Amino acid sequence: MGVELSAAWLALQELAGSQAGQVHMKQLFAEDERRSARYSLQVDDLFLDYSKNRIQSSVMDGLFALAEQQKLEDWIGRLVSGDKVNDTEDRPALHTALRVRGEAHVSGFAAQVQPEVRQQFVKMTQIVNKMRAGHWRGYSGKPITDVVNIGVGGSDLGPLMVTHALQTQTSPLNLHFISSIDGTQTSNLLKCLNQETTLFVLASKSFSTIDTLSNAETAKDWLEERISNPATIMAQHFIGVSTKPDMMTQWGIPPENQLLFWDWVGGRYSMWSAIGFPIALKVGMEGFYQMLEGAGLMDQHFASAPLAENMPVLMGLIDIWNINFLNINAKAILPYDARLKYLPSYFEQLVMESNGKSVNREGEAVSYKTCPILWGEVGPNAQHAFYQLLHQGTQGVMCDFIAPIERDDYDASSHSHKNESLRYQHRLALANCFAQSRVLMLGDAAIPESLQASFNTPFKHYAGNQPSNTLLMKTISPKTLGMLVALYEHKTFVESVIWEINPFDQWGVELGKLIAKETYQAMQEPALVDGFDCSTAGLLNKVKGL
Amino acid sequence: MKVSVFGCELTGLVTAGALAHAGNDVLSLPVGYVKVEDLNANRLPREEPGLNSLIAQQKDEGRLHFESDWAKGIAHGDVLILSTPSWRMDRAEAVIKLIGETVKTDVLVVNQSTFPIGTADRFEAKLKLALAERGVVVKVAVVAMPDFISEGSAIENFMRPDRIVLGGTDKAALKVMRDLMRPFNRMTDQIKVMSTRAAEYTKYAVNALLATRISLINELANNAEHFNIDFEEVRQGLGSDKRIGFSYLYPGCGFGGPSFAADVKSLVGTLQGKGYDADLLRTVLSNNETQKEVLFRKAWRFFDNDLRGIKIGVWGLSFKPNTATVENAPSLKALEAFVAQGAEVVAYDPTACADFMKHWGDRKGVTLVDDMYSVLDGVDALVILTEWKMFWSPDFKQMKQLMRQPVIFDGRNIFEPDLLEDKGFRYFAVGRGEIV
Repeated sequence: MGVELSAAWLALQELAGSQAGQVHMKQLFAEDERRSARYSLQVDDLFLDYSKNRIQSSVMDGLFALAEQQKLEDWIGRLVSGDKVNDTEDRPALHTALRVRGEAHVSGFAAQVQPEVRQQFVKMTQIVNKMRAGHWRGYSGKPITDVVNIGVGGSDLGPLMVTHALQTQTSPLNLHFISSIDGTQTSNLLKCLNQETTLFVLASKSFSTIDTLSNAETAKDWLEERISNPATIMAQHFIGVSTKPDMMTQWGIPPENQLLFWDWVGGRYSMWSAIGFPIALKVGMEGFYQMLEGAGLMDQHFASAPLAENMPVLMGLIDIWNINFLNINAKAILPYDARLKYLPSYFEQLVMESNGKSVNREGEAVSYKTCPILWGEVGPNAQHAFYQLLHQGTQGVMCDFIAPIERDDYDASSHSHKNESLRYQHRLALANCFAQSRVLMLGDAAIPESLQASFNTPFKHYAGNQPSNTLLMKTISPKTLGMLVALYEHKTFVESVIWEINPFDQWGVELGKLIAKETYQAMQEPALVDGFDCSTAGLLNKVKGL
Repeated sequence: MKVSVFGCELTGLVTAGALAHAGNDVLSLPVGYVKVEDLNANRLPREEPGLNSLIAQQKDEGRLHFESDWAKGIAHGDVLILSTPSWRMDRAEAVIKLIGETVKTDVLVVNQSTFPIGTADRFEAKLKLALAERGVVVKVAVVAMPDFISEGSAIENFMRPDRIVLGGTDKAALKVMRDLMRPFNRMTDQIKVMSTRAAEYTKYAVNALLATRISLINELANNAEHFNIDFEEVRQGLGSDKRIGFSYLYPGCGFGGPSFAADVKSLVGTLQGKGYDADLLRTVLSNNETQKEVLFRKAWRFFDNDLRGIKIGVWGLSFKPNTATVENAPSLKALEAFVAQGAEVVAYDPTACADFMKHWGDRKGVTLVDDMYSVLDGVDALVILTEWKMFWSPDFKQMKQLMRQPVIFDGRNIFEPDLLEDKGFRYFAVGRGEIV
């Protein structure tokens, strides 16, 4: 029996068809002055206001009953202690074991792996400190000044997102990211860099990703233009991060330049491991550890807080309500600070690669919706783009508004012109953030009475009733970013438990890679084109002779 | 003439000593950490050839006195000279404040310190305001007289200057200054009178030009190596061009020192802060920082990118000969680079060891010895960072016996490559010797 036939699910379905599912949020707010206090939660430096959702106590009770029925708490325990929750790949998903700091208690396999986790962090610390101090030298003896991370997916997005978010912190190193297979990024970047002072980080869990290896070969060719000794290239200009030491050695990277992680760290959950090396180069190991501590805080909260006060559980269950019972199939991630530009891409991968599935853990097709389409953009920019659809389109969309309360890049006590304008712009951004979620919730009811006449046309009608969460971070720091990402990881896991799917595999991305190889061969040998469908064959003929 | 000199660093002491030597009645007043007891006991804050005997002699002859009470200094001098280090603007401000609060007669202040452009004008305005507030009606003038002395030849530079720059517009004040500097202005008139700002800017411009020249020569020498050219031959060709001349034409392992490099940095800082162009000077400075590691880079390549367990001997730590200062010196950067790669360093300097340890702190990896040959015991290479005269003609036979490998990296080009080759050394200099 699938979850969709369970008592808790059916009860929620019934609620959705009743007043609880139909009532407009403006009414819920009008009826309850304490609604925001009731439906908000502070966990350390993160504040979540989830009151602008189409929920009331009957709905929440129903959702908690569903969670209990699905044994959510057991699943959380199994996740963090290292049970093989990734059953299709027969391994645990132990990203939480990477952020066990200090005296925090862990058990099971999560406890067993601690010594090797620490050992890799010690090695990473040595390399990071050496590089940040300008003592990692290139072939000619000059210090490395530019570090290029070559990786894709989980080996790219996390470090890219976090280092961009922490751009106000000064770093002794310039960081660059290359991911795309097409070579444009690489050739453009290499034009501006110098072989003497550039180091490449090859980040690949399997160390067989064609995207990464092809870019790495281009980088190696570029280094060979200036460096004749291949051993020097490998010793001074490459660092490898992978779960596969043998493959790194085979590629030429000496063991002292290898940073390891393990198959129990999923790619999209790997920025907490040595994959986060660029983050540590940006903010130092101290900053990197603060990020782990932030995530660790969220882990402890997730593992210990009761369901009704558990931030990832609340966010996950409300998503379930919206998706499966209110039939909303899209979610927008809307950060109100340009430093969080890559957060939407990061969450797109985290959430959609985890839960974009239609077969449950038993291998049976599910008959309910799972992961919605997730996208996003820096909020103030998106206001001039797709917000039109949020306000007046035909789609229901859940929105997550995310903003820092304070900026840490100006002196709060200073009233210099620069500080004043930053402060002014920060307030403007927050005002826009709060205004948008309010209008999405209230619709026409947000129009001030004095202006109602001018809005009295069907083209200026705002339906409202679009659900949203608002997450306020104390500031954008390694710690709050750690908390924020761990929050989304866990809420994604919560949803997977309700849907009875495995969020830790990604079989859907494999076939395309395989077929790309076949297609590449056909480009080399035109005779093979005949085996393809007529559309693909036609396309291949278009690029013949390249 | 009665003169008070505020500031007992190198420039202040040289000025006080030289003016006393010329017959003036000079009061010398410390403004920082220097103590009158130490000065009276002839314990000077800077080592400088000839300075101790000059000061001792003038004190003995009764023309030079040390005093800690600034008010006495203000009362004493017909001319009040400010001579603080460039980073002690606060002390100069304090002196100006006290002058404004206490002076009763006409006042002539001379600023020798390297402060931002416009400081002399600002001091004059401050004094005038203070006096007006007190209702004291006297004449006030602030003249800029930038110092052009170099460590190691400071007394010579002051007593036989290339030029004396006086910045100011007050005719009476300039007349006094001409008279004061007359003993040092004998052969031809070396006094250049200009506006105070032009005088202040001249000081910066001189340093900027010299720094640029050195960095350019270093770049040319480094690149000569790529074409297998002995840059010494090029240097001869360059220097004999009258438009260029021979001074400041030696390539080396970078410039340093407490004032020269710092002044250029300060100028770049000022220009950038105001959003003005400083591209060239910024490059000059960053080139120089890179050049400080030029010998490290040669060693890094010579030892195949692995300096672990390599023992390096170092001759010279001070930023130039005849000084005990290592501030901004190539030695700091070069030794840090060697030690960070796991090399073991043994170093000798005739005077700068104490100052080096002050900068180096409790970091490990460097042993200092008190004999230039002790440095060589079992080393894989010798690195020469300062061209002290004693290094120019060493006992090569003894050196070869002591060293594990006869390899020399010379940052001051003090040897002839052919000669060293004959003696069986591997010799790497800047733009000269073997290429690595």
